[in-house]
Amino acid sequence: MIETPPRPARSLGEAVGETIGFTQEGARYLKYEAGSLNPEGSRRYYFYLMLPAIFVLACITIYPFFWLIYMSLHSVDIGGAGDMWNDFRNWTRLTRDRKFQDGWLRLAHYSVLCILFEVGIGVLLAVILNNSRFEKVLVTIFLMPMMVAPIVAGLVWYYLYNSTFGWYHWLLQSAGILGETSILGDRGTAMWGIVIVDIWQWTPLIALITLAGLKRVPRDQLEANMVDGAGAFKNFFQVTLPNLYPFLLIAILLRFMDNFRFIDAILVLTGGGPANSTKILPLYLFDISFQFFKLGRGAAIALTLLIMTIVLGLILVRVFESPAGKVNQNEEGR
Amino acid sequence: MASVTIANVWKYYGKTSAVRDLNLNCNDGEFLCVLGPSGCGKSSTLRMLAGLEHISAGDILFGERRINDIPPKDRDIAMVFENYALYPHKTVYGNIANSLRLRGMSKADIQQRVQKAARMLEIDHLLDRRPGELSGGQKQRTAIGRAIVREPRLFLFDEPIAHLDAKLRAHMRVELKLMQRDLRTTMIYVTHDQLEALSMADRVAVMHEGVLQQFGPPQEVYHRPANRWVAGFVGEPPMNFLDCDLAEEGGDLCVRHPNFTTPLLPEQAQIMQAKGGGRGVTLGIRPDEIALAAEPGLHAFSGQVMITEPLGGDLLVDVILEGSKVLVKAKPNYRGGRGEVCHLTFDRERWHLFDREDGQAYF
Repeated sequence: MIETPPRPARSLGEAVGETIGFTQEGARYLKYEAGSLNPEGSRRYYFYLMLPAIFVLACITIYPFFWLIYMSLHSVDIGGAGDMWNDFRNWTRLTRDRKFQDGWLRLAHYSVLCILFEVGIGVLLAVILNNSRFEKVLVTIFLMPMMVAPIVAGLVWYYLYNSTFGWYHWLLQSAGILGETSILGDRGTAMWGIVIVDIWQWTPLIALITLAGLKRVPRDQLEANMVDGAGAFKNFFQVTLPNLYPFLLIAILLRFMDNFRFIDAILVLTGGGPANSTKILPLYLFDISFQFFKLGRGAAIALTLLIMTIVLGLILVRVFESPAGKVNQNEEGR
Repeated sequence: MASVTIANVWKYYGKTSAVRDLNLNCNDGEFLCVLGPSGCGKSSTLRMLAGLEHISAGDILFGERRINDIPPKDRDIAMVFENYALYPHKTVYGNIANSLRLRGMSKADIQQRVQKAARMLEIDHLLDRRPGELSGGQKQRTAIGRAIVREPRLFLFDEPIAHLDAKLRAHMRVELKLMQRDLRTTMIYVTHDQLEALSMADRVAVMHEGVLQQFGPPQEVYHRPANRWVAGFVGEPPMNFLDCDLAEEGGDLCVRHPNFTTPLLPEQAQIMQAKGGGRGVTLGIRPDEIALAAEPGLHAFSGQVMITEPLGGDLLVDVILEGSKVLVKAKPNYRGGRGEVCHLTFDRERWHLFDREDGQAYF
């Protein structure tokens, strides 16, 4: 529970009472309940306040989470007989499941490509945008792809890639880059096809977060480095970039978790094909659970995804938790 | 090592001018303080010297070389910033070594020079820490270490000790002065604290609203202020100013105030006669140049004690005169209380007269 000692000057009860316009008596009652002189009582009071939120949270995440674990250990049959314990067969099958393992590899491939390009282009865009004369207008324009629903983005790009009337397809073919094949129909290019859509849609988010970070790079550090003998290029890598780490961490964390979840665009673009070359793990999970209705196996796959997300998230935080981030926060209070 | 010449330099931010027609020269190995309140253009001047601000007009020379268009990295200067500007992601060692690494010095040389600088500043036990783990004084030493390790030809200090507590500040004043005397590197030091300027500098440049008010040794700035503004800014507690007239009395030229009429010293009278006396003047006198006594004496006049402020070694007494008030630094054994009549005598050797219109000092 929260360890905040009650403030003697104005208790929480009074504050709440004033805010929501309780009568004097009501406020006094709340103050009594909050037990402004009694830490035990006030802690209980906070707990009561949090109860509704805890209840809602329990219903929508905690209960399903345990249900997921339960399902992963049973054969789950929709509408039929009850769930049957199956001696970890959902799990043991995964070790022999080629599509499951390929799904992981493809997911890794897809995520790494997306994040590398998004961060690279996003940071570059942010640096160009920062302090440019048209910053505000350009930011607004760049943000537009983000406003499009992923499924719509998928459809738009589907038509742009189309081998009969797709504009990009025509362009690439005219330039001699693409042979007779279509972009999404070839095993070699389909992955790039879906990666480019993700880059198009989500680079602006990275640029936006980085731009916010750039505004907070301490100017005196940049100047000190210039006096120390650094040119603009070295200054960027030695001072600007380390100061951006906390912001890049947020951006990368958001993107990689989204890559593990969002399959709308891919579903529309390739549906996992051709020959499963874009069947990343979440897509395979979708197939197992909602095409073949093997909910038990699906639950097991979902749990591996969840565990991996948490582990990768923790690693990322550890990697990017630079002293720079910590120190700048410490110095805020100065 | 280099001398620095600032010739007719102007700095504009948009249409407002921050520095107006500044002329300064700093000799090789000199410790120069630029003193002024915030917004007087002293930091802009320093940043132009560092190459961090464009010079709107005029020239800055290091030695014989015009450096207006040379980027900061090629000016061979080192600067200590007000907020230290340490790189938080680097250790103390990394911070100090940064400029040497950027110049491609060998690892062994870097190691040796960083160690030497760190020993000198007594931070050699902190080299592995990061700035976040240092106290204010240690950060400040690191920032200085970063500057001295380069052995540049010019040091620029931008209020480096303004954020330290009073005791540490006094300590660092002495250390910085010692350091500069040892290294004999030209140093330009910007501050708003007149105590720092007076105690450390070889020469002080006092600036106000972008204009250089006075440029000279600390003693001269303190004892012979060029105008009323400098007189009021330099010195703590501040100088007293009294609006007076000049009048002939008994053959002597006298300063006349409702409370007193005191003759000028002969050489002062000569100056006033030569420079067109008779105009309104402002008398300026420092609190410690007024003698306070319970009994009347020669050239003494009376006032009424408003309040006394004991400061331990000294006693500040606010004395009410006709329509004005003076602050007097008295001996701590003075026993006058509120409302009592006291007798004041000015040290006429030390008083100053300023033109009441333009504030320029006559003497």
